Amino acid sequence: MNALIKLELARALRNKKFLFFSVLYPAILFLIFSSSSGSNQKVDDTGQTVATYLMVSMASFGALTAVLMGNSERIAKERESGWVRQLRMTTLPGRGYVLAKTASAAVVSLPSIIVVFAAAAVIKQVRLDAWQWLALTGVIWAGSLVFAALGVALGYLASGDAVRPITMIVYFGLSILGGLWMPSTTFPKILQDIAKWLPTHAYAALGRAIEQSQAPSTTDIAILAGYFVLFAGGAAWLYRKDTLKA
Amino acid sequence: MTTTAAPATTPVVGFDQVSKTYGSVRAVDGLSLRLYPGETVALLGPNGAGKSTTLDLLLGLKHPDTGTVSLFGGSPREAIVAGRVGAMLQSGGLMDEVTVEELVKLFCSLHPKPYKAADVMARAGIAQIADRKVNKLSGGQVQRVRFALATAGDSDLIILDEPTTGMDVSARQAFWATMREQADQGRTVLFATHYLEEADAIADRVLVLHRGRLLADGTAAEIKAKAGSRRVSFDLEGGIDEAALRALPFLTSVTVSNSGSAAGSGQTVRIQSSDADATVHALYGLGVYPRNLEVAGLGLEQAFVAITEAEEAKQS
Repeated sequence: MNALIKLELARALRNKKFLFFSVLYPAILFLIFSSSSGSNQKVDDTGQTVATYLMVSMASFGALTAVLMGNSERIAKERESGWVRQLRMTTLPGRGYVLAKTASAAVVSLPSIIVVFAAAAVIKQVRLDAWQWLALTGVIWAGSLVFAALGVALGYLASGDAVRPITMIVYFGLSILGGLWMPSTTFPKILQDIAKWLPTHAYAALGRAIEQSQAPSTTDIAILAGYFVLFAGGAAWLYRKDTLKA
Repeated sequence: MTTTAAPATTPVVGFDQVSKTYGSVRAVDGLSLRLYPGETVALLGPNGAGKSTTLDLLLGLKHPDTGTVSLFGGSPREAIVAGRVGAMLQSGGLMDEVTVEELVKLFCSLHPKPYKAADVMARAGIAQIADRKVNKLSGGQVQRVRFALATAGDSDLIILDEPTTGMDVSARQAFWATMREQADQGRTVLFATHYLEEADAIADRVLVLHRGRLLADGTAAEIKAKAGSRRVSFDLEGGIDEAALRALPFLTSVTVSNSGSAAGSGQTVRIQSSDADATVHALYGLGVYPRNLEVAGLGLEQAFVAITEAEEAKQS
């Protein structure tokens, strides 16, 4: 299985478009969004500067892009091309394919987090303690597994021409409604109520708790864990259905 | 239970009353067969005969509705995990954006008894395109890469589903030469084809599949014989007793036509016979003097058409 992970990774690193959107694009968005406000300007309710607030949002967004895009469209395409069938002619265990995809996406999502952090620290002078940087990286990276599972589920749910639009809707819907692009506190009341229950909102909230040296809220952890069980369970169920049908 | 003495060896492939239905279509219908070590077997049938479904069942990609499928006495998956099966599927896609060499190396590393990637590529005739991206290959080249993946290790059974699709004639011949090497090493080879000449030229056993059922199982020669597959033709001068002709032994069909020669009254008789020697012997016994006597074998193609037509006539 390591051989497949290596090859998946080599392929991901060769794909310039994918690298741009998952590694550079979140950092660029961070710089654009944060440039419109002064470095001392605070986000309402949080006491954080805009740059600090957006850093977590965009690092989460970057990790989300890498794992969601990396999994869903590829899996749908490769199911259709018969590559998944071809792999079933080998000793690779059935779940090995999905694990290799997720592992290689996770390797790409790590630099996407770090590039946003670097841009924030160097250009926007965001300052945090060493343990906060490490904890943020760890939490955002680990939390991206929730969306990797969602990517796998979408890859087995949709096929052909449908997978891209569906992924895009889910991706932008979760990003924007979850408050990754702009604070959800600026939303109308009804959207704020929705945002509270989205996995992306809980995901970014974990990072913000670390920035404020607070313990993460148990509600956010519970929401994220609930979505992980839902997505991973859905992915496993869809995978099994696909295997029987293939 | 049959009482015939079974060969002592475990069959490589065993199908026992296997059926698979899609909606109202019976893709495979009560199929039973055994393949033994070292056989080169063609699975022959027109499109829609159930060849691909049979191979999918064999490889565990699909599960039978009823009946059992075994490979080397165990489940298909067990045989694959043990590295005993290499398969080239018609529907097997390739990972794109990687090179041919990377892909072959991946499959070598996934095989329990791998060969060296360089040797695998050389044997499959793809060494010179090792650095090419997989998604930039021609149809014939893709087939060779798939063949390389199916032969990445020392498997006992090689499955090939219409392997020469997309190849021109010379590529096809080169391919079968490569495949023969596999068979000569004592492997069991099972290939599906609708190129009938391939089954005739390469297989030492031919399974004819039609509407998901096994129509015939034997050597190519036996299958031709089963279809009444030698053609006897000759000219006769003067009157012919057609009833006597039709009474000849081992006939499957007779046609009589005017030979159109300048001599006028001559007629040409064409007979299909399942035992041409006996038929011709009896013909002389009629006291006639056939001229321009020719006895020729039918290609497997005609044999195949005859078998499937007979089957369809029986059903309607």
